[in-house]
Amino acid sequence: MTLLRDLTIKKFHDGLLKKEFSALEITQAFLKYIKDTDPRINAYLSLREEQAIKEAEHVDIAVAKGESVGVLAGVPLAIKDNMLLKGEVATAASKILENYTASYDATVITKLRKENAVFLGKTNLDEFAMGTSTENSAFQVTKNPHDETRVAGGSSGGSAAAVAGHMAIAALGSDTGGSIRLPASFCGVVGLKATYGAVSRSGLIAMASSLDQIGPIAKTVEDAAILFKAIAGKDPLDATSAQVDYGAELLESDFNQIKGLTIGVPKEYFIDGVSSEVRAGVESAIADLKSLGVKFKDISLPHTKHALSCYYILQPAEVSSNLARFDGVRYSRNPNLRMHPNAANRSGLDHLYFTTRGKGFGAEVKRRIILGTFVLSSGYYDAYYAKAQQVRALVKQDFTEAFKHVDMILAPISPAPAFKVGEKADDPLALYLEDIFTVPINLAGLPSLAIPVRNVKSDMEDGGSLSHLPLTNKLPVGFQLIGRAFKEADILGMGQMYENEVTSDK
Amino acid sequence: MSSLITKHTLEHLAKLARLELTAHEEERFLKDLAKILAHFEELQELDTKNVAPLTGGTELKNVFREDTLTENPNSRAGLESFPESRDDFLKIPPVFSAEGGSASGGE
Repeated sequence: MTLLRDLTIKKFHDGLLKKEFSALEITQAFLKYIKDTDPRINAYLSLREEQAIKEAEHVDIAVAKGESVGVLAGVPLAIKDNMLLKGEVATAASKILENYTASYDATVITKLRKENAVFLGKTNLDEFAMGTSTENSAFQVTKNPHDETRVAGGSSGGSAAAVAGHMAIAALGSDTGGSIRLPASFCGVVGLKATYGAVSRSGLIAMASSLDQIGPIAKTVEDAAILFKAIAGKDPLDATSAQVDYGAELLESDFNQIKGLTIGVPKEYFIDGVSSEVRAGVESAIADLKSLGVKFKDISLPHTKHALSCYYILQPAEVSSNLARFDGVRYSRNPNLRMHPNAANRSGLDHLYFTTRGKGFGAEVKRRIILGTFVLSSGYYDAYYAKAQQVRALVKQDFTEAFKHVDMILAPISPAPAFKVGEKADDPLALYLEDIFTVPINLAGLPSLAIPVRNVKSDMEDGGSLSHLPLTNKLPVGFQLIGRAFKEADILGMGQMYENEVTSDK
Repeated sequence: MSSLITKHTLEHLAKLARLELTAHEEERFLKDLAKILAHFEELQELDTKNVAPLTGGTELKNVFREDTLTENPNSRAGLESFPESRDDFLKIPPVFSAEGGSASGGE
């Protein structure tokens, strides 16, 4: 029987067509493995056993009939629980949505259903995707499969841990300020934050609408590319989705062309606070790419240091506005609603708002709503919100200028590898600082691919299983490749070349 | 530096945001917000006098869609997940009080 840890989307598809296994067998094996393993990791908030089995059987019938099935058919995926599946609970890891049942499918789900993918379950996140460690979930803390005393990163920590812990072949996450890339890097897997507008946000529970993007988390760059291609595209239900025709170039890279691209290295991302592990990891990735003939250039992104403040003004501002819709009336099955006798007077309805929101939201969500309300309030708007919008323009301009000289940018994802559970839980500013290298990319709306550093010579002793993942006795370190807007093909191509060339074969 | 957010300001902000805060949360938030706002101070050193603000995630131009009638096949879905409804309307607590004012407004 094929080992679950060996499976990539590509390998699953090949095995399925060669009848080495059925989709049902693999789905059942994953469900069983999740039940055995996940009580330690806490990646999933809910499993869709019955539905997943039906979805897998459907694919097996098609294969048996000799119908042609797509590369994602039967692939067991994990979905971050801030995306909607019709008729199923979607919590965003918040108590306020504990009983909320989605009334429609997110566009990404509609697209994946057409591909006949299997959805194993919904994964844990920081409440409403606010956080960098998945410790802000109202329900559970997700542990890092490489070291269970450490965090998986956030906010898509459940999705990253599910993939790294071999509890799904791949997953969907969302990235507003680093929420795909940070957990991918902490967990040693690949994650793609797409260009703003590349993937529809319809059915993604909105947090900061000018920054949110859905993207894949996978074991290989190739898998991330497959999943991204399946979910990307213009959607009438999301006015900010862009009309871009992504084609075969996402999956069939011309490595000779990729080798000719120039990578910029921004000095502002190698500041004193960067740990020796991250520095060494990123430098080894640069050295490996150089040895493949890729040209590097030192560049400067001068407003990098201002991006964090800018982000933590704009993001809470959008949060305070977006989360106003959770008022205890909508999006809930509030059992108290029908018996609110006091509601007939002024204090009654207000009472409902105050108590539902007060009890339903966790501390970090409340902190950001207050902060967002403050930076938008009259008297402070110009000094904070308006100023931050101008700084956002400067941050974006940095990248526009840099891309005149280089084709993509390579940088660390976080100052250090995964930290201990609880280590920073009481210091919100310390947690915000984790985002220092990821938020500039969201502010500029650019695509960025998180890739684990494969500096470790792999041992093939464990049967060659996923040999490109870093050894488990060391914490994973990742780096990011930032591309021009809508040039996902460039960074995915470079990532694939790195993945193919810099592995065990050397 | 003295914090821009005093206990009084915090209570006002919480009221605007319709958030009930516990005494413990108030105490914590006052400390946290002071620290966070102090960090934001560094933005003031940046001269942004003639910088046009970037107001969204995309620079795409507005495109008008065809003004065609479409049917929403999903229009009843929200009803089914709501605690109480009548004749396709959701039943919620009264918005207007007996005295005639708005129930939730009123600063």
